[in-house]
Amino acid sequence: MGGETKYEIHQNAYIKLVLHALKHKTSAVNGVLLGRLSGDDTVEIVDSVPLFHSQIGLLPPLEIALIMIEEYYNDKGLSIVGYFHANERFDDFELSNVAKNIGDHISKYSPGAALLLLDNKKLEALPKGKDGNPVMQLYTKDTSRSWKLVGSDRLTVKEPSANVILLDFISSKKWKDITDFDDHLDDISKDWLNSDLFN
Amino acid sequence: MVSKTEEEQVNRLESQVENGGGGAWEYLCLVRKLKLRRSDKVLKFGLSILNDPKKRSALGPEEWTLYEEVAVAAMDCQCLDVAKEFTKVLQKKFPGSKRVGRLEAMLLEAKGSWAEAEKAYMSLLEDNPLDQIVHKRRAAMAKAQGNIPLAIESLNKYLEIFMADQDAWRELAEIYVSLQMYKQAAFCYEELILSQPTIPLFHLSYADVLYTLGGLENLQTAKKYYASTIDLTGGKNTRALFGICLCTAAIGQLTKGRNKEDKENSQLQSLSAVALEKDYKQRNQSKHSLLTATLKSLKLS
Repeated sequence: MGGETKYEIHQNAYIKLVLHALKHKTSAVNGVLLGRLSGDDTVEIVDSVPLFHSQIGLLPPLEIALIMIEEYYNDKGLSIVGYFHANERFDDFELSNVAKNIGDHISKYSPGAALLLLDNKKLEALPKGKDGNPVMQLYTKDTSRSWKLVGSDRLTVKEPSANVILLDFISSKKWKDITDFDDHLDDISKDWLNSDLFN
Repeated sequence: MVSKTEEEQVNRLESQVENGGGGAWEYLCLVRKLKLRRSDKVLKFGLSILNDPKKRSALGPEEWTLYEEVAVAAMDCQCLDVAKEFTKVLQKKFPGSKRVGRLEAMLLEAKGSWAEAEKAYMSLLEDNPLDQIVHKRRAAMAKAQGNIPLAIESLNKYLEIFMADQDAWRELAEIYVSLQMYKQAAFCYEELILSQPTIPLFHLSYADVLYTLGGLENLQTAKKYYASTIDLTGGKNTRALFGICLCTAAIGQLTKGRNKEDKENSQLQSLSAVALEKDYKQRNQSKHSLLTATLKSLKLS
């Protein structure tokens, strides 16, 4: 993949991830990004699946989730193109080893994969400003094979009004309706696709 | 740690109160009993009782327990004015009380005045060195400040004295997992299983950790603990059923070519697979084909 890959995340994928983090304020959460290559240098993040909000460092639930998710999205012409992580503590901006390891695993199958970290300070500041930029930090794996924080201009949300919609959902406590893979494993009738979320 | 029925009960009560059907006091007592963390609802419902003089006096002596419960919930929601006000009320009613002193120290913690909170907790410990809640608050403070090594050290010291405290073992295990210190996490779950061998959650978490550690021996042990989880939950635990399938596939990978245990291995896996298929067909038909594909890929991998 050439030097300056750009990442464009669709509104619904973006909102799902943030709402998931807000639903589980007292723990770390993570999710996968689904998408495709678009043109020579852009990765389109079309959808996301919120994964877990407990014991994120354990393999079995992650392995099952990845198999199922890949199975579902391959049919739709999308593949796993990245990973999202939100830390447990508000002021923790470190990329944990768990996040890096999962990111590494995803990179093996998807070179140029993106690692997104929730930026709590930006999230907190959202109601005050008119920032249209996503409240996430972008990490990519460069040739040195380690995850590096990359300029925020390389991550954009496709729909410019995404943050306005997000704020709306936050005030209406929409996060209550988010289902993640943890919820599904606890009760398989729950839909980790969140197909009814934005109806 | 709550059972599914207990959780459903709490959720039902919660929506009942939310929709104006009453039962706030019942809800608050249940949350306190089950040690759940639902601070936004506790705050909301608690205030509705405490701000109404009629409702308040109807509580009798329980009024003060409610003040304490809501004060803590207020701190969790960063409504520090409410927390301060209620702490003052309790100070007036119980001057010199250590229990209220603890609340004051927690308030300092909630404000982020770490040094002052630490001083307050240390002085409480001088008077009562066996105050479990204060010990645990100090570990929580270390974690909140991002000093995870200190949190681990505090919890370990605490558990040397109070080795029967399940919550502490579980918290320590989860911290270890988040740091990928799986061997140490396994030790915690071993302690939990030894003290409470009939709680399936501990068997399940132990199996998950062993699987994550990897290696043939760990995988075989993990499989045993997924099996015991299935036993303890009457086959209803989806995670354990998946665990069996994952273990069998992984063990198969590692022992390719070696012919032992083939029959036993595959029998347990096919039983689990059948159970999963039946479950998905019944409760989530739309995901059934995904499940079948997943199981297929595990059998072949």
